[in-house]
Amino acid sequence: MNAFDKLDKELLRAVADLEGIPKGAFNIRKNGALLARECNANIEIENNAKGTGIIIRIKANTRNESVHIPVILSQAGLYDVVENDFIIGENCDVAIIAGCGIHCGSDQQEGHAGIHSFHLARNARVRYVEKHIAIGDGSGKRALNPTTKVQLDSGAHLEMELTQLGGVDEALRVNEVVVDEGASLQIIEKVMTAKRQTATSQTSILLRGKGARSNMISRSVIRDDSRQVLYAVMEAMAPCFGHIECDAIIMDRGTNETVPSLKALHPDAELTHEASIGKIADEQLMKLMSLGLSYDEAVNRIIQSFLK
Amino acid sequence: MLEVKDLRYAVNNNGASQEIIPAMSYRFQKGRFYAITGPNGSGKTTLAKLIMGIYAATAGKIILDGVDITAKPVNERAQAGIAYSFQHPARFKGITFRELISIAANTDDATEILRLMKRVGICSLSHLDIPVDGKLSGGEIKKIELATTIARNPKVAIYDEPDTGIDLWTIEPMVKLIKNEQVNHGTTTIVVSHNKAFLEAADTVLILRGGQFFFDGTFAEALPHLNNISVCDYRTCGDKTYDECFR
Ligand SMILES: Nc1ncnc2c1ncn2[C@@H]1O[C@H](COP(=O)(O)OP(=O)(O)OP(=O)(O)O)[C@@H](O)[C@H]1O
Ligand SMILES: [Mg+2]
Repeated sequence: MNAFDKLDKELLRAVADLEGIPKGAFNIRKNGALLARECNANIEIENNAKGTGIIIRIKANTRNESVHIPVILSQAGLYDVVENDFIIGENCDVAIIAGCGIHCGSDQQEGHAGIHSFHLARNARVRYVEKHIAIGDGSGKRALNPTTKVQLDSGAHLEMELTQLGGVDEALRVNEVVVDEGASLQIIEKVMTAKRQTATSQTSILLRGKGARSNMISRSVIRDDSRQVLYAVMEAMAPCFGHIECDAIIMDRGTNETVPSLKALHPDAELTHEASIGKIADEQLMKLMSLGLSYDEAVNRIIQSFLK
Repeated sequence: MLEVKDLRYAVNNNGASQEIIPAMSYRFQKGRFYAITGPNGSGKTTLAKLIMGIYAATAGKIILDGVDITAKPVNERAQAGIAYSFQHPARFKGITFRELISIAANTDDATEILRLMKRVGICSLSHLDIPVDGKLSGGEIKKIELATTIARNPKVAIYDEPDTGIDLWTIEPMVKLIKNEQVNHGTTTIVVSHNKAFLEAADTVLILRGGQFFFDGTFAEALPHLNNISVCDYRTCGDKTYDECFR
């Protein structure tokens, strides 16, 4: 399509694995304005009343469909703020692919703050994939500050895959999820920072209904002099099950703070967490080297697979 | 041929030097099957790790087919033809069966990877993409560890207690598999084990005690030593608590 230039295509490939026009519904936002949109019989996308973002409505019982909503930024000095609402009908089974790609070619700051609110009705299932990346030779600071708020009605299931693998100087991510009776949540967050970048992630999960389940997995790789901070709070108000697993690998002179917190406000809540911070384990390096990989190859393999 | 010459390994124990292997010289003949046994803590794993290059020798030499490899790093020894199955295999976060065997065998061919997995008794296709992590059972991790060594088709294969955690039905097939590799590929095979099945299958049994081979012979010749409790160096436990030792 002609509306996409070479840089757009590069960014779209990086954040949404898109080679061209996506299949299914989509909404592509570039430099704070709409670039392309497509709805279909089951998926409706419209601007919200305030004009600050979009509302995506997916009809009940919609299955095996997907929505792509990438945001790309390449305008120097722009800080784009957007508020999107996702209203997912009962018994849906859909994938939502979001993400933001920044190209910074100047010394001016560029950034994006996406505030995403999800409402999954009873028994809806959603796979939400969000990738963040920044590229370009400019020295301007690239900032990404996503906020995701989620309400899971009874029996709903949400899988969130949140990835930030490079180039973002400053990130503050906030996730807030309420899980009702029999609903379940799986969050996988993967963040790699380098140079002097900082990334902070604050997740709070409220397990409100009986039989609610939640599993959060966080994987961090901290290169050079970068810094990552993770707060993960899981609060249980009913007989439910929750687990937090955070692993951080420090490569160079980076630092990390990992603060998992569990609050059982009901006697039958089962909450667990595992957290680790450290260098790559020597035994892992030795194993791969004993299979013929050099030290650097072994390090790369371990990091790649850890973040895969 | 693999040779260790005056091989020494000492560690610093609170300022005092502790000799784990004081001075060992031995020639492992090409294509022969060796079983090394000996009491816990006698230095079997240490010797294996010295040969693989995971530990650096304090003194002495390690020579493979006439080439001094003492100063070579682990990956160069691997490329020179040495493979080692760890007693306690590493567990990863993310690396799958497929990836690990693919690195070892240097192929991405799924059929070949599955064939190697089948050979060590992991039959299910569903295992291909599961991670080699802390969730695997003790036997599963040892099987995958064995597969990575076989996959390399090495000149010298060292298996460190390959049978720990392996079920009764799998031990005999495992002995046969290792024996077949030795016979079909002329692999110099060194199995560290406490299991008679491996000692019987070996051409040579070596008994290690205090970092030295004090016995070198056939299984039949080794038997009296294996049944003699004084081989165990429990006397060094200290004379006061000696009577309380469960041995
Ligand atoms: N880095 C180290 N520092 C101190 N002591 C060590 C170190 N590495 C090994 N040792 C000691 O060296 C001795 C030999 O250990 P090794 O693991 O080689 O024994 P092993 O014969 O393989 O025993 P097992 O049958 O229990 O596997 C042990 O007493 C061990 O505690
Ligand atoms: Mg040992």
